[in-house]
Amino acid sequence: MIKIENVNKYFYKGEDRELHALKNINLSIEKGEYSIEKGEYSLLTGPSGCGKTTLLNVIGALDSFDSGKIYFEDRELGALSEDEKTTIRLNEIGFVFQAYNLVPVLNVEENIGFIMRLRGFPDSEIRERVKEVAAILEIDTKLRSLPSTLSGGQQQRVAVARAVAAKPKIILADEPTANLDSKNSKALMDMMRSLNVTENISIVFASHDKDVLESVDRVIKLNDGEIIES
Amino acid sequence: MYKLILKLAFDNAFLRLSRTMLVIIMIAVSMSMMLSIQGLYDGMTLSMIEKTKRSDSGEISIYAKGYRLSKTITNSIKNVSKIKKVLEAKPEIDALAIRIKADGLSATARKSSFSTMIGIDLKEEEHFGTFSEFLKEGEVTFSKRGVLLGSELAKTLKVKIGSKVIFSAQDSDGEINAMALKVRGIMQTSNISLDASAMYIDKKVLQEFLGIPKDAAMQIAIRTKSKTLENSLVAEYRTLEVKSFLSLYPIIKQMEDMMVIFNSITFFIVMLVVFIGIMGVMYVSILDRIREFGIMRSIGLSYKLIRLQIFLEALFLGLSGYIIGAILGYAALSYLKHVGLDLSAFADGMESYGMSKVIYGDIKLSYFTSTLLAIIGASLLSVLPPLRKIKTMNTIEVTKVET
Amino acid sequence: MFSFALKNIFFYKSRSITTFILTFVSTLFFIVYVAMMDGSHNSMLKNALKVYTGAIEIYKTGYRDIGGNEYFIENVDEIESKLSQIDGIKHFTSRYETYGILSTDRYSSAAMVTGINPLKEENMSQLKATLIEGEFLSETSKNCLYAGADLIKKIHLKVGDEVSFIGSASDNSFAADLFTLCGVFRTGSFEFDSSASFVSRSYFDELMYAQNKASYITIDVDDLEDVDSVRLSIKKQLSSELEVLTWKTLMKSMVEMMQVDSIFGYISMSLFFVVIFFVIMIFGFINVSSRVKEFGILRCIGLSRANVRALLLYEIFILSSLAIVLATPIGAAIAYYFSIHPIVIEGMSETYKEYGIVSDSVPLDFNIFTISWNVALIYSLNFLSVIYPISYINAFKPIEATRHV
Repeated sequence: MIKIENVNKYFYKGEDRELHALKNINLSIEKGEYSIEKGEYSLLTGPSGCGKTTLLNVIGALDSFDSGKIYFEDRELGALSEDEKTTIRLNEIGFVFQAYNLVPVLNVEENIGFIMRLRGFPDSEIRERVKEVAAILEIDTKLRSLPSTLSGGQQQRVAVARAVAAKPKIILADEPTANLDSKNSKALMDMMRSLNVTENISIVFASHDKDVLESVDRVIKLNDGEIIES
Repeated sequence: MYKLILKLAFDNAFLRLSRTMLVIIMIAVSMSMMLSIQGLYDGMTLSMIEKTKRSDSGEISIYAKGYRLSKTITNSIKNVSKIKKVLEAKPEIDALAIRIKADGLSATARKSSFSTMIGIDLKEEEHFGTFSEFLKEGEVTFSKRGVLLGSELAKTLKVKIGSKVIFSAQDSDGEINAMALKVRGIMQTSNISLDASAMYIDKKVLQEFLGIPKDAAMQIAIRTKSKTLENSLVAEYRTLEVKSFLSLYPIIKQMEDMMVIFNSITFFIVMLVVFIGIMGVMYVSILDRIREFGIMRSIGLSYKLIRLQIFLEALFLGLSGYIIGAILGYAALSYLKHVGLDLSAFADGMESYGMSKVIYGDIKLSYFTSTLLAIIGASLLSVLPPLRKIKTMNTIEVTKVET
Repeated sequence: MFSFALKNIFFYKSRSITTFILTFVSTLFFIVYVAMMDGSHNSMLKNALKVYTGAIEIYKTGYRDIGGNEYFIENVDEIESKLSQIDGIKHFTSRYETYGILSTDRYSSAAMVTGINPLKEENMSQLKATLIEGEFLSETSKNCLYAGADLIKKIHLKVGDEVSFIGSASDNSFAADLFTLCGVFRTGSFEFDSSASFVSRSYFDELMYAQNKASYITIDVDDLEDVDSVRLSIKKQLSSELEVLTWKTLMKSMVEMMQVDSIFGYISMSLFFVVIFFVIMIFGFINVSSRVKEFGILRCIGLSRANVRALLLYEIFILSSLAIVLATPIGAAIAYYFSIHPIVIEGMSETYKEYGIVSDSVPLDFNIFTISWNVALIYSLNFLSVIYPISYINAFKPIEATRHV
């Protein structure tokens, strides 16, 4: 599904020295590493500043890179225009951020249905799907509430629901549990696992949370921008 | 310490360059436009006032009682030479013009019009209001039965330099007399009634024509800078009518008042915008940095110093706008002052309503000083609402603000 | 995207209210200001037309530029019968205008003495309506003089008094007669009131040898807007040695002065608009810059730049439409009300009489076309004001925007 070949990204590159954000990242069978496949439930982990969020953003067509190639289902991200990347993000990728990042002016129902609406799903289908996802994530009683009235755990579940609702091929979740207590973290991870299974959505986390580490199928470890174990 | 605060304020004011520039441009553009409009309008009014004073009333004019209601030659000032001597002895009087006037009919072979014949002394008028500057065509001379015509009158009579004009009017015996004159020059004073009806000839010629005594005149116009002269003249010449420029031309007084009102409103609106602009930008800027201020306060910086920093930031914004606005405004004003706003396309309309076809602006130092003070004031006032935000913030809470 | 924009408007209240109020006030102000400016111009023109000048006047070519007795219209009856068959003409009458000296025992003054057809003149001009003393002329009023109030004051004349007239007749011979003052008028225009006087044509024509002659023929039209087309149809019927002029030419200097006045009006307004534009832009910009992070998220989850642009355009569209939809009828109603019930400024005509203002009332001009372009201008300014905020927000990369403070 996603292949990464020799991707490098620099924070700084001068004649005398260079500072890597990502260094020779490879996630492709040809290079002897496993690519990210359909139904995958894996984790990018490593110490702070190791490049896990950067890698996640690069995979998610959010951030650029300086050399190498990333294939998202045969499309090479580096060769795409900003608009084409936007279309991929809209139609095929779901995002969950550390800081929930809900749209403050929209209520829970509208936030969850937002991407579906952008993609032009009919109203009835959006309503049904929102209810369905909200029930799975146990926020179906909060559909009319504004994000600012919800707890952190609830907000993060809304964010997950938004990412899931439009049935993306992959969800990229950046530190989804960082602002949650352990009980809420555990509950969230359980729900994400069940979505991974029932909806057959690939999920890639970037996190150094133990709860996440324990629940995933595959762990890709990074240090100083390099994959040291996958 | 204060040097550090100053540096902080300066750096922060220009931290978000695009939004800082936006406010600066906003202040500069609206300020320079305001200055240009004010200068243009002031220039227009000023030139009207100046030309009216030069061509007719001076600062003060003296008439015989009743003359202004019934402009007949019997209503004339009698002992002019004596009055002249007294007035000339007054140091506050800069110049005098003594005029004889008679209403009558001016006619060519084909056209006729009403006109007012004004007998003047060219030397006296030159000193009084540089009369020759009003010349539009021809030359300023009365030689060989010469007459000078108001520009609109010349248009009505369809005459050119060299044309013959007959003027008929009633003399002191009640007889209708006529004299033939040759047009030597066409005068444009921008004073509506003069341009539409005035014919100028030599004072002595008119005196003879009307058969009035040498010591009589219809108007004594006075140029002076003194503000108190009018009252003392009123007291001195109780049998005559002593009138100030503004009471003779109430419309100009009204125009002047309207300009002041208009300019004040513009000034107020522009300052309000400066206020809103700086306030908006400072508010966002402070909210953006609320954590920074929280940290500064928690490490011991006093509220007073933070306030000082914010005041200085706002001042940098306001003053940068002011400087650019003043430069632009000055450039626009000097263009208007020297080149002027050319409305030649509407020359006929402008001239028949007493305006020059090119309008020149005026530059006053007070434009810049009052704007400077107002901008400083608006800048300082505009940070009060955002400052309240800082004063009431909870230092510990704000340092935790998600960034 | 529309309902999303609507929600943003309700959420960011202070920005919405400011934009709304500014747009509302500027729309209202602009409509009323322009209506007032156009209204005072129109009333100046109408008053001037009503008093004496016709909407269209016919001259023999040369009368206006050269003048003199050989430039009178000679065949008035023939032209008048042609005029009576042209559509769009309401009334017409011919006038024989001459200048002469009117004298009493002790005083004399130059005056314009005009031979008029009293019956036709009643419909054409305000001459009869402005009577203040005595009576208006009639066909049989012989040597009756109908004179302006300021003119008779100059020569100390009272109704019933005799006054001598000296002038030259249409054959250049000397013409003199004794008139009796029968009526006095005051139009409010000082220049006119201090110089004009009238005599019935049937009498005056004999004195001046002016039968079937006229200085000009003055015409009133059904609709002032159609004046140009009526002029053309008149021109077709007449010989080429006659010129047909509309008020636009006859009152060229007044029309030009009004244009100048409008130019100054718009210069002043432009400052106001620049200011409003900047304030709306600043508020839009501040609003957007406080939402950089939010836009970043939206862009991350799939909103394109075009979507962001549409969102912000929708926001300004809704706000400005709302303000304009409310302000326009109010502004139009004010313009309409005061076009019917003019504002009266006491003493204004006294001060401005030199400028031809003869009435104290200033009716506003109610004109749908004017209001439409006023509104369109404000609309465009509002849309212009979001261009910078849009380009500002779209310059961010999505990921940078999410990290924006």
